[in-house]
Amino acid sequence: MTAFIIIAIASLAGALFFRSEQRFRAAHPKFQAGAYLKWLGSRIKGFFSASFFKRCVSLWDGWVGARYPGWLKWIFFAFAAAFLYLAASGLIYAVFIRRGMFGLPLLAHVMGGGVFALGLAFIMLFRARAYGFTPQEAAPFEAFACPIFKNIPKEMVVKALFWIFAVLGFVQIVTALFSMLPIISFNTQVTLIMIHRYSALGLVLTAIVFFDAAVLGRPASPRT
Amino acid sequence: MNRIRHSRSAGRFLPLAALAAGILATTLVSTGTASDGRWAGSRSPAVHRIPLKDTADQKIIPTEKNPPPFSTRFTCAPCHVYESIATGRHFNAFSPTAAAGRPGEPWVWLDERTGTQIPISPRTWPGMFNPADLGLSAWDFAVLFGRHLPGGGPAEPEESLETPGSRWGVSGKAEINCLACHNAAKTQDHSEWARQMMRENFRWAGTAAAGFGEVGGMASRLKGTWDPADGPNPDDTEWAVVPTVKYDPALFDSKFQAFFDLAYPPKDRSCLACHSNAPAGSRKFDFDEDVHTAAGLSCTACHRNDITHDIIRGYEGEAADNPGLVSSDFTCRACHLGEENKKGLGGSGRMGAPYPYHKGIPEVHFERLSCTVCHSGPLPADEPARIRTARANRLGIFGKADWSTDLPVVVEPVYRRDTNGKLAPHRMMWPAFWGELEGGTIKPLRPEAVLSSAGETLFPERAVIRVLTALRGMSERPGDPVLVIDGKYFEQNLDGGLTVHPVSGEATPAEWHFAAVENGKVKPYWPEFDPAEAEAAAEPEGAIQRVLEALAAMAGAPGTPAITYKNTQYRLVEGALEKTERKDPTADESSWLWIKDESRLPMLTEEERNAAATLPGSEHRLTESQVVSVLKSLAGGKAKNPVYISGGKLFRLDEKGALEAAEHQATAPVAWPMAHQVRPARQSLGWNGCTDCHSATSDFFFTRVESRGPLLTAKSESAAGVSFMDLSNPYHRLFGLSYLGRPYFKIVLAFAAFLIGAVLLAALVQAVGRISGLIEKRK
Repeated sequence: MTAFIIIAIASLAGALFFRSEQRFRAAHPKFQAGAYLKWLGSRIKGFFSASFFKRCVSLWDGWVGARYPGWLKWIFFAFAAAFLYLAASGLIYAVFIRRGMFGLPLLAHVMGGGVFALGLAFIMLFRARAYGFTPQEAAPFEAFACPIFKNIPKEMVVKALFWIFAVLGFVQIVTALFSMLPIISFNTQVTLIMIHRYSALGLVLTAIVFFDAAVLGRPASPRT
Repeated sequence: MNRIRHSRSAGRFLPLAALAAGILATTLVSTGTASDGRWAGSRSPAVHRIPLKDTADQKIIPTEKNPPPFSTRFTCAPCHVYESIATGRHFNAFSPTAAAGRPGEPWVWLDERTGTQIPISPRTWPGMFNPADLGLSAWDFAVLFGRHLPGGGPAEPEESLETPGSRWGVSGKAEINCLACHNAAKTQDHSEWARQMMRENFRWAGTAAAGFGEVGGMASRLKGTWDPADGPNPDDTEWAVVPTVKYDPALFDSKFQAFFDLAYPPKDRSCLACHSNAPAGSRKFDFDEDVHTAAGLSCTACHRNDITHDIIRGYEGEAADNPGLVSSDFTCRACHLGEENKKGLGGSGRMGAPYPYHKGIPEVHFERLSCTVCHSGPLPADEPARIRTARANRLGIFGKADWSTDLPVVVEPVYRRDTNGKLAPHRMMWPAFWGELEGGTIKPLRPEAVLSSAGETLFPERAVIRVLTALRGMSERPGDPVLVIDGKYFEQNLDGGLTVHPVSGEATPAEWHFAAVENGKVKPYWPEFDPAEAEAAAEPEGAIQRVLEALAAMAGAPGTPAITYKNTQYRLVEGALEKTERKDPTADESSWLWIKDESRLPMLTEEERNAAATLPGSEHRLTESQVVSVLKSLAGGKAKNPVYISGGKLFRLDEKGALEAAEHQATAPVAWPMAHQVRPARQSLGWNGCTDCHSATSDFFFTRVESRGPLLTAKSESAAGVSFMDLSNPYHRLFGLSYLGRPYFKIVLAFAAFLIGAVLLAALVQAVGRISGLIEKRK
């Protein structure tokens, strides 16, 4: 468990730093720690500004509205809300609470898991086609001609992230489901829970990068 | 230490004893066995044909006049280090250096008459009283609990612990009774031990219990100045008879060596003499063994010890509590999960113990529950079951008299936190005692002090029994006299109390009355009649006269007996039946009366009737009105702020003299974890699924735990089982409710997983097709 805590903190901090540093470099070609921290502070301060909520709504309307029209929007909303709660409760209890998750948060986590599973299934049914690779993109050796990410088109990264998210989500659902069934021995169940935990971490990291690349990265596009 | 003066010359058999000891010592040194605790490796038990020694280390000649009882300290000493054994778990409770460990069953200072049941332990266990705090000396302890003590410890105190008023000089000390556990002979008699201890024949108890000889006499009846050197008193062979031993000569060889049929390790029956328990009211026929016993394991298969007799209790964390413990490998986990690195290799734990797979049970259960939660004790029910234990309820002492007691009420299972923070099933009892409230703390009063202050209040059945005894002397008695109240009749039993039965037979008046019972049928003393019709009334009035004649002969009668029947009062005047008409009998007036100075007193007061009607046959010993009376009498005596504790409440008199119930920390129940009876895996909690525990009405979480005590009251505490677990009741209701939808939830998850999996599979197939070029080729 200690290993998971260290990995979780390090990877989350790394992902956040990596993505923020990329954005910092877009405006400041030369990286300076002081300038970076100042920039980061101003961005965080921006979260508490009056316009932040409006920008979020605008982002939601733009990105989600374009991809999930009509009632699908609400399915996506439920899915996103469930995912945010699952990620927050799961990580907070795994990292900070030695006892692990218990009580009402656990009950809500289980319920949220159901919403997440159904939401992901709907997204897969309705949006998977949009994230399919084109024949050109399917030429992986060309695309992965290192260094990684730099030579890969952003559209392909977003698509890959979508499928990674889907696979990890599937692992989450299966590990949760099987650990509830009286067919798995205790030792196997412990392994399943550990897989669930690391898969969840991967899911969160994928979601962060996806959000940064697909949602914040450029203006909304109806086809990505 | 603990040498007892003896009349026989010390050096009489010294050469012989020295020779025997020398041979034994030489043998032991060469084989390296018991004397130093090392085992040479032979699994063949040693035959113990050895001389018996007395407390002066002298060989006992069983055929001589007035031989002394044998001493385990000196008989077993040549080979076994008594001082080392005396540090063992069974003997070290009073030692300040002994590890207390997790709480165990307390001794219960029980006095049913005063409604006293005080949980006691010399060990520092929460909620239990230390004997010293109650003013109980080692002598008091040995007298109170000697029946189930294994000797040694408080029954064999150092001289510095011998308090004034004790009678160790007369009774002798009860040395460690090695044979209580190690005697394989069927003649080992725990009941005999208990009888001898109750007679204060401490020194003789081991000899009598082992069946080596007959022990007569009673040290408890001897003067405190008597000394074994004084020998028997030829002037008193009836009452204050000196304890003596008459050895069975057939047990000795020509060298006066006795054969000890020893059991190493001890047999289960020896352990069960003091550690039996069974559900109250159950039939022996229905009783199932612990699954380990049924599988052939003995008590000592797990509860092992070395020469220190520091017996393994077998709970997790015991090694930390008691670093000197010989091994910590005999917990549930150690046996069933095997060694940590092997993880039950081969599908089994120690000696092939079944390895539990615990399929589908979340990890949290193993972090927060002891194994015993799911596997031990009775299954949870709507209320915890009553259990009777050997030490609390004096079980296992057989004889003409019934030694067992209904009190204290001990219930199981109540799930509470163990000392390691995990939930574990507990046995629980509620202390009950009279005390003085001083500055927030309660000092318990000794039962004898309460009795002397309360007087007849605590003997309400005596008034009934006096009347029943008088009616027994009635001429032309139609049957045994009984008291009839509320559809039940009460008859005198051999213990001087009342036994209750439901009424069957002829219809009887609704109000309380005395009647006769024959072959289980209750019959009124006289049939229905009209007192105004002289001819028809002659025979019934004859019966009334005989009843009144019997009552008039009652010793200590408070007045002249009288009976009212249909507006007619009957009483005896100079031996003749006087019949007077009562024109205005009040509705609540009793039919059975004492007339004293022309005032009419009910033959039984309301308090006496209530006590008689409600207490016999119940687990209660006191009514609220009795408690009020006793509190008043205690307040009128020396006691300051007298209170009574029972059923989780403190009872005291309010300003108006009425009984009020209050909270106090001293009323809290006392609990100790239990591990037996272990049920088979198929009968464990969770075998049928999560809803064995997780439902909105689960007996595991929501069993009703009623505080039980000797006082009959509606003011007792009642709480859901979950409140003893330090868990939230509403949350577990909600969590339990969630299991209504759990099967559907699993279906939803499976459905979602299927859809996602299908899409992923389709995508994978497409990707493989694209990468391999198969799709393009088809196009």
